[in-house]
Amino acid sequence: MYSPSRWVRSAILAVLAVSLTGCASTNVHSYLERGADLGRYHTYAWGRADAMSTGDPRLDGNPFFEERLQAAVEKQLATRGFEKTSATPGLLLHYHASITQRVDAYSAELKYGYCNECRPYVYDAGTIVIDFVDAHSSQLVWRGWAEDRFEGAIDNQHIMERQIDSAVERILQRLPPRL
Amino acid sequence: MRRLERLIAVAFGALAVTGCATMNVSSHVRSGIDFAQYRTYDWGPADALPTGDPRLDKNPFFQDHVLGAVEKQLAARGFEMAVTGTPDLLIHYHASIDRRFDINGTDQAHGYCYEADCHEAEIVEYEGGTLVLDFVDARTNRVIWRGWAQESLEGVLENQDRMARQINEAVTRMLKRLPPRL
Repeated sequence: MYSPSRWVRSAILAVLAVSLTGCASTNVHSYLERGADLGRYHTYAWGRADAMSTGDPRLDGNPFFEERLQAAVEKQLATRGFEKTSATPGLLLHYHASITQRVDAYSAELKYGYCNECRPYVYDAGTIVIDFVDAHSSQLVWRGWAEDRFEGAIDNQHIMERQIDSAVERILQRLPPRL
Repeated sequence: MRRLERLIAVAFGALAVTGCATMNVSSHVRSGIDFAQYRTYDWGPADALPTGDPRLDKNPFFQDHVLGAVEKQLAARGFEMAVTGTPDLLIHYHASIDRRFDINGTDQAHGYCYEADCHEAEIVEYEGGTLVLDFVDARTNRVIWRGWAQESLEGVLENQDRMARQINEAVTRMLKRLPPRL
């Protein structure tokens, strides 16, 4: 026999579990330099690798993370008509990934208006930033970023790769259209 | 029914509370690599990154334990330390310590608890240690495998025996994740 309260409780727990572990909460934003016209740029190259620490020893100098991210960006840019070049590129691309521990006070309450003895909890938040720099003037013309929970994602290569692909796709979707 | 639910909740809660005491071990691997081609190894140049803890920086006791544990595990897996010539693999390790936070009295993974198991939430700061091992193909100079182990180091660094045991466990469990060499 199902008691309704039990059913409701499992449903709420299931929703909570999805919301806490899922990438549904990816936060994606971007800035565009005023007056910049991305239509002017057709070629790009990767700029010098970023020397900053990611804040997580598992990710620092991790080629599996870096190569996947670069491949994801290259794939997205190819579909948008940008060409990768080793000659004189119009754009230099940089990226930076970082992981920080955050404390969430009462997220369940805020999101679903329901909280069963909710408690604060600690999680790993990941941010990926992609910068487009004018190779001639060295000015930043566009920056896009995605923030997400990275809980457990680094420990599972397959999940990490999927999370990178989806974050990159969503960041680059925010590029202004090139007419 | 409520008893069962509560039992499960308590079980999860116990897992979460002891969570910072259990070692987290995982790895990344380059796809399409045949590990049977690697037989010999040597230690790559020591890494210049700081560990984040002066007690560990240039600490030969720690270093010897790590090297010894890795060499023992690799010998058991049929790898040989290169004596002459170029090794197939170069191995690097990096140890680091940073301040981590945990919340006491909460199921960390789910952020909820049940009435009787709910305690005043309390933020606990602890020293989280990470040991990373990189296996580099000496010919292509590319990392083909990275393994890591993470655990709370509260009370470990100041106790040499516990440190040695923890390094052994970390290295053993990490290297179990190496792809098989058939």
